[in-house]
Amino acid sequence: MNTEDSLNPILRIQKIVKNYHKGSIQVQAVQSISFDVSKSEFITIVGRSGSGKSTLLNLVGGLDRATSGHLFVNNADLTKMKRSELALHRRQTVGMIFQSFNLIPSRTALENITLALAFGGMKRRDRKQKASEILSRVGLEHRLDHKPGELSGGEAQRVAIARALANEPDILLADEPTGNLDSKTSIEIIQLLEKLNQKQHVTILMVTHDEELAKTVSHRILHLFDGKIVHQQILRRIS
Amino acid sequence: MRIDDQFLLGLANLWRMKLRMILTTLGVAIGIGALVSMVSFGIGMQKNVTDAIRENDLFTSLTVTGQEIDIQSAMQGNIEGVIESFQAEAPLLNRDALEKIQSLDGVEIAFPEIVFPVKVRMGNEETQTTLRALPASMGQFKPFNEIPYGHFFASDSASLVLLNPSVLKELKRVVKDPENPVALSWEDSARGVRSVSADSILGKEIEIITSVIDVSKIMQNPLNYLNTTTGRPFREAVTPFRIGGLLKEPSEFSDSRFISGVIAPIGRAEEIPQLGFTSVRDLFDPSGDTEGYGAFYVRVRRTQDLDRIQEKIEEMGYNTFSIMEQLDEIKKGFIILDTALGTIGIIALFVAALGIINTMVMSILERTREIGIMKAIGGSENEIKGIFFFEAGAIGLIGGIFGLILGWIVTRIANVVANYIVTQQGGPVVDYFYMPIWLLLGAIGFSIFVSLLAGLYPAMRAARVDPVEALRHD
Repeated sequence: MNTEDSLNPILRIQKIVKNYHKGSIQVQAVQSISFDVSKSEFITIVGRSGSGKSTLLNLVGGLDRATSGHLFVNNADLTKMKRSELALHRRQTVGMIFQSFNLIPSRTALENITLALAFGGMKRRDRKQKASEILSRVGLEHRLDHKPGELSGGEAQRVAIARALANEPDILLADEPTGNLDSKTSIEIIQLLEKLNQKQHVTILMVTHDEELAKTVSHRILHLFDGKIVHQQILRRIS
Repeated sequence: MRIDDQFLLGLANLWRMKLRMILTTLGVAIGIGALVSMVSFGIGMQKNVTDAIRENDLFTSLTVTGQEIDIQSAMQGNIEGVIESFQAEAPLLNRDALEKIQSLDGVEIAFPEIVFPVKVRMGNEETQTTLRALPASMGQFKPFNEIPYGHFFASDSASLVLLNPSVLKELKRVVKDPENPVALSWEDSARGVRSVSADSILGKEIEIITSVIDVSKIMQNPLNYLNTTTGRPFREAVTPFRIGGLLKEPSEFSDSRFISGVIAPIGRAEEIPQLGFTSVRDLFDPSGDTEGYGAFYVRVRRTQDLDRIQEKIEEMGYNTFSIMEQLDEIKKGFIILDTALGTIGIIALFVAALGIINTMVMSILERTREIGIMKAIGGSENEIKGIFFFEAGAIGLIGGIFGLILGWIVTRIANVVANYIVTQQGGPVVDYFYMPIWLLLGAIGFSIFVSLLAGLYPAMRAARVDPVEALRHD
């Protein structure tokens, strides 16, 4: 393992296990995975569907609880948090983007961002200003008042990225961010994430099955198979 | 996220499902409308009764009576108790007692109750009624300070009487009121009742005829009084008066102690010869003390003195009665009425509350994904609960306001209809509904409270949505 990274981990995953029941069958989605993520790292987990990569991301995102093991974010153990503390974790520490964007369809791009800012506790009069700033950072200053249905897939994912970054999280969690996009748009989104990582030093944990695309931007790639890490590729150093 | 954000989000969500929201809110409005109109009817009734009692000045007076039969013993078949109560030496209601009561601090007037049956003759017409004696000083109080025609007598010894319109009618006269002309009924016209001006009645001579025992008849033939046709030992005594004024027709709230066909000054009335007993005691009292009266009327200066004076008189050994005591009973009765009416409204409101639960559970099912998103971007369970809670509260608030408007419209229409029917039958115009400010505010508060209660379960369900489940892409 990269010793340099281990010195300064923003995320430390230790022997994490997640089992769940699908009907009467017990599924071992994540089987004792351990790894660290350094600050400003762009790390990608690749694997086939059902390999447990989304489950792992949900655990880090605080949407789901681990069966056993420990999960430290900024030295705070997620597995020991109360529900209200997990909500605070989702609000302040992580930002999530999804394959299906998960924007609120009845609200405009701007309103989707201001809702996140409202949860973040920002004063109402400051929210619009901040939301349009973030949207212009992802190149959507001309789409503020459009509803998700009026946006292209690439634009919708940009709004989602903007929303994930609204409360300035420590880690951006991306769950198949290009899964619903064509290849041209996929490259644009990946380049946007790379830019955020390079220029603004956003730590990114991405899950994808598109290994080729991931290779172009990631510092490190972990290969997941049946809930276990089977291979690690270190591609470049963190600048 | 602050409380006001949750409130605005809740409102925005309501706005998104307008039709459903309107229907649910309408349910609440109907519930509140029913509650408010029902309760305002009960309150209106109570207000009309207490206003009438106050109007008729019944809160400042009490009646003093002598010993009572021990009713409780009688009910229980305890004959000895009844006899004992009769034999108990109670102080007599005589002149001395009256003077003592009059001298109590805070007593305005006290006078004995004198009422006896009389025959009244005016011209060729005569009728049976009762005569009641009142002091001239009662002229300054209701209802005698505002008699419609003529004046209350100025002295206790004046030879003037006041007549009740019903007695005048028996004497075949009705006073024409130019401001409020009433046509005579067919039966009255057939009887020969004539409509005349008040001036032609006032000052007219009238004879008060009473029966007295004719001792000379008994002496002439002691056995003759057994012959019921010729031998009755009575004769008629005629006392001349003039009509000094005409009274108002008594209403159901008039003080029954003043209702009488004829009212005469107390000094003059006591000189009218009559069968000399006013209470059962006089018949059996071997001492023949006719100084005793049946009851005293006592009027106090201020309502708040009533209790104190009542206690003092009871200390003297008399029984007292005041309408104030009755008022507590009346109030209890109205609480029961209000509760019964309110219950009907509350049932309607609870049906509406079920509507709220239904609407909100439905909308939570539709919005599961949205709730999942809110959780993923950091919404806490309490914040999400708050959003749905405010939705329910807003339905309650809006429904409450519209309910008041609805209730107001319904009661106004009902009032017009009720008054139309009642006045057709000769009743007075009355406002049957009364909505005090506490009822309005209370109804809105209750509406919000019930709606929040209804929102409790849906809000809890929303807060417990599993984000992983909600966000699973299909």
